[in-house]
Amino acid sequence: MARKPPIANRVRELREQHGSVTQAELGDAIGVTRQTVIAIEQNRYSPSLETAFRIARFFEVDLEDVFSWTE
Amino acid sequence: MPFHEKSAWIMIIALALGGLLYFSAILAGSSDAGALVSPRVPLIVLYTVCLTVISVIGHIVIAVLAPKEANAPADERERLIIVRAGHFSSYLLGTGIVLSLVLYLVSGSGDLLFYAVFASLMLGQIAEYVLQVIFYRTSL
Repeated sequence: MARKPPIANRVRELREQHGSVTQAELGDAIGVTRQTVIAIEQNRYSPSLETAFRIARFFEVDLEDVFSWTE
Repeated sequence: MPFHEKSAWIMIIALALGGLLYFSAILAGSSDAGALVSPRVPLIVLYTVCLTVISVIGHIVIAVLAPKEANAPADERERLIIVRAGHFSSYLLGTGIVLSLVLYLVSGSGDLLFYAVFASLMLGQIAEYVLQVIFYRTSL
């Protein structure tokens, strides 16, 4: 139930690289709450494919530049 | 803390407080009468009014404190949290209903059946909101 998803991400790193975009700004841009962005960054939640693509498009990178399989 | 988590806390408090007051009144009435008192409509109405007042006031307060969050629909993670919490709490509700039916078969008391089912509904609802809070704070 509380298993961590086997997917790592670089969302925090990309936010910092893109002029320190805040979690709230990213959340507004991709249609989720700030708390969901925090959960994604802390690897407590794997976003849907649609949200994953929205994140990648927001940072103008490929999906695999944001998310990677860790197992 | 997200709006929906605050909302879950309000409902936990309202349901727990309402349930405590309701069953305290039943226990007090039963001990005075020396037997289990029958369910009474005024007490159920009072319970419903208490629950409604606490939840409405609580939600107004949290909505005033964060109007933007209050107007935003639940996002994909929040929807998943709500669905999962409802799914797991339904087991508790189902178990409570089955136990209530067994209790009726054993005791033959319709009053006891009513209280057991009512308590199962309350516990099922409380469990749903407690699970929402847990899922908000852990991995999904």
